[in-house]
Amino acid sequence: MSSTKISTRRRTVNPQAVGVVAATVLIFVVFSVLSPAFLGLDNLRDLAISACVNAIIGLGLTFVIITGGIDLSVGSTASFVGVVSATLMVKADMPSIPAIAVGLVIGCLCGALNGILITRLRLQPFIVTLGTMSVYQGLAYVVTNGVPVYNIPADFTTMLNGYVGGVPVMVIIVLVLGVLAWALLRRTLFGENVLATGGSDETAWLSGVRVARVKVLVYMIAGGCAALAGLILVARIDAAQTDGGSPYLLTAIASAVIGGANLMGGEGRISGTLLGALILAALTNGLVLLNVPSFYEQIVTGVVVVLAVSLDRSAGYLRFLRRPPSRSGSDAQPVEQEATA
Amino acid sequence: MNTLLEFHGVAKAFPGVRALEDVTFRLDAGEVCALAGENGAGKSTLLGILGGSHAPDAGSLTIAGSRRTVHTPRQALADGVQIAQQEPAVVPLLTVDQNLQLGLSRAERRELAPRTGRAYEDLRAMGFPLAPDAKVIELSPAERQALGVVRALARATRVVALDEPTTSMVESNVDRVLECIRKAAVERSLGVLYVSHRMREVMTVADSVVVLRDGAVNLRSAIDQTDEHTIVERMVGRQILQFSRESSVRPGASPVMRVRDAVHPRGNRPISLEVAPGEVLGIAGLVGSGRTELLRSIVHADDGARSTVEIEGRPVHLRNPRDARSAGIAFVPEDRKKQGLVLGAPTYLNVVMTAGGEFSRLGFVRRRSERLAARAVTERLALSPRDVTLAARQFSGGNQQKVVVAKWVWRDSAVYLFDEPTKGVDVGGKVEIYQAIDRLAADGKGVVVVSSELPELIALCDRVLVMREGAVVAEHVKDSINEEDLVRSAMGLTKDGK
Repeated sequence: MSSTKISTRRRTVNPQAVGVVAATVLIFVVFSVLSPAFLGLDNLRDLAISACVNAIIGLGLTFVIITGGIDLSVGSTASFVGVVSATLMVKADMPSIPAIAVGLVIGCLCGALNGILITRLRLQPFIVTLGTMSVYQGLAYVVTNGVPVYNIPADFTTMLNGYVGGVPVMVIIVLVLGVLAWALLRRTLFGENVLATGGSDETAWLSGVRVARVKVLVYMIAGGCAALAGLILVARIDAAQTDGGSPYLLTAIASAVIGGANLMGGEGRISGTLLGALILAALTNGLVLLNVPSFYEQIVTGVVVVLAVSLDRSAGYLRFLRRPPSRSGSDAQPVEQEATA
Repeated sequence: MNTLLEFHGVAKAFPGVRALEDVTFRLDAGEVCALAGENGAGKSTLLGILGGSHAPDAGSLTIAGSRRTVHTPRQALADGVQIAQQEPAVVPLLTVDQNLQLGLSRAERRELAPRTGRAYEDLRAMGFPLAPDAKVIELSPAERQALGVVRALARATRVVALDEPTTSMVESNVDRVLECIRKAAVERSLGVLYVSHRMREVMTVADSVVVLRDGAVNLRSAIDQTDEHTIVERMVGRQILQFSRESSVRPGASPVMRVRDAVHPRGNRPISLEVAPGEVLGIAGLVGSGRTELLRSIVHADDGARSTVEIEGRPVHLRNPRDARSAGIAFVPEDRKKQGLVLGAPTYLNVVMTAGGEFSRLGFVRRRSERLAARAVTERLALSPRDVTLAARQFSGGNQQKVVVAKWVWRDSAVYLFDEPTKGVDVGGKVEIYQAIDRLAADGKGVVVVSSELPELIALCDRVLVMREGAVVAEHVKDSINEEDLVRSAMGLTKDGK
């Protein structure tokens, strides 16, 4: 009986979270058995680096997806920010830090524009961001004329693509960002409002939540994260390509979805998205080590996404089965029973 | 008599819950049997087994003499069993006629044609003269429910189960619906299982009653050998208090809320009203008469829904529900699943969703205070189970409603607006919600209650406004509030019935 003490904490393990962790472990075990090089320190470092861009874009997208939205423009935003910042540094001799700051601001503005269009004009996020995806990509071409920007200053590349005590800077960035995102989602009023808006925006609106503001802010977060990813991409390949970010759109969505984000809104986990990005990177990396032609990688990735979502469903079912009868000794109802009675 | 349906020792357990235990009873041709029980007593599970969507763990059912051990939805349909849910399974984008024909093969359509024609007659008799080519999306909830009922009646050849088919309807329609159901049962020798929380309906429509309590049959009786009191007692298993409250209107006090020219684009003409401190003001009227719209125009919940509001004598400028919340207006909406709750979120998050910054410091929330506050208010409403970390969807309907009420009553507001506060809630749960409303009034708050249940308005309200076609057409004060007058005003009839 919980009546004897005030139990305000819940000590249950979310089986969905367990599922992603288990999948990650499984993939690592399988590849390390098949290829001894897989668990080598250098390889793990490469693997982590290759997960970073997906992870960062995925983190921002997780917020958007939880509110029931989607942002298709994140890849274009990453490209656009990359070429703008690179151009500022190379052509206008702007120092790295201000160029990064300008890039991040542009990313947030791109996101804010998405959010404002969605909330003010009451358009579907899919439609709006499908449009702005094209617009931001077009702007990137306008900036570069389609020619990649080379000769990126060395201080910029070492800042984002360097190492601190052997650990890649971008991995540190991802981990710090992950902790911040988790705290924002699970420990702040804003996070509660994001979850409420995603669960039912009518309910949130009638409860006094500023639904429109919440939505604009999540698209700003997605835009800001995409901008950071775009900058890291420039540092990694030592050049700014006009459409460098676009391949990451679908893989970032896949990371979030593998991690348990529900495209219908209301559900999503920061740790899940990070693991999702790690799983995708591990698959790519492992298949390369095994000399599997890279075309197969796409097939495997697709299968993993579908598998992850179906496992997610069955994990939900398992949770339902395992739910204790009642922690307070009274009559809990099974989910679909009497829901309308 | 000709036995149509027999449950024999049916048992069903869900993880952690025994939903049904050794349920045995019979239903004869032409018999209307009321199935009563509190939320969670096992009514829906029993209907699920009848409809083939749940397999019983033990026991069997026999339909027209043939025993069914394996029972699937297809088998149930082939056996002539039809189930109409409380929220009818109609397709909004199709027409009335398309919905009536939905899923039928060409041959079945021909075969059913006479009975489909009959469905339209039934709709007219029920007071819902729907055109065959009307789109269902344009129908009111009450009309949809009626459509669900006539479709089930038209298709069934043996057994019809109706799960609270009248919750969205007003009483004048309910009587006519009940009449149609009785007629269909008698004329076509159907067996009808009628699930309802409303005792008046049970007493009117049924020949017999089965009361389920904790998954077992707790009473099986012909209706004329029992009475409302016994049925309710068997349902709750304890003596039930008839609810009544002392008026707490403070005489001579200035109004706690004054609303002028509340208009709503869905057709409400300007309405003005005042609520005194300690007063419970009822709003009666048919579904679609503009009652919900009146409340939504007070809190500015829709585009173009607006009003001029004074709280405790001070004009307040409202643009949206958030402004209304800050001004001291609490609004408990009608549809708990879409407007009241985030079903997937923990209960405490639902409860504190109305808090704004109250449980946070510098934007960071204090989980513990949130949970303690949620726990305190839900305990007063006897939420069961008491665990506020459970997701809202894990509660039964009646308990979900308590969470929606809890969400607003913990806040200190000046005025509380309730839209159908006990829709689909069982008797015990109703009393707990009434007590919460009474506590608010006793504290000198203003309370407005919109309800389709006249006994509820009569028990709760100091004054009742009646709405019809977007306007207030009558006002009844405490001792002169009675069902007949309320119905007359709502329907636009005068004393002599014209």
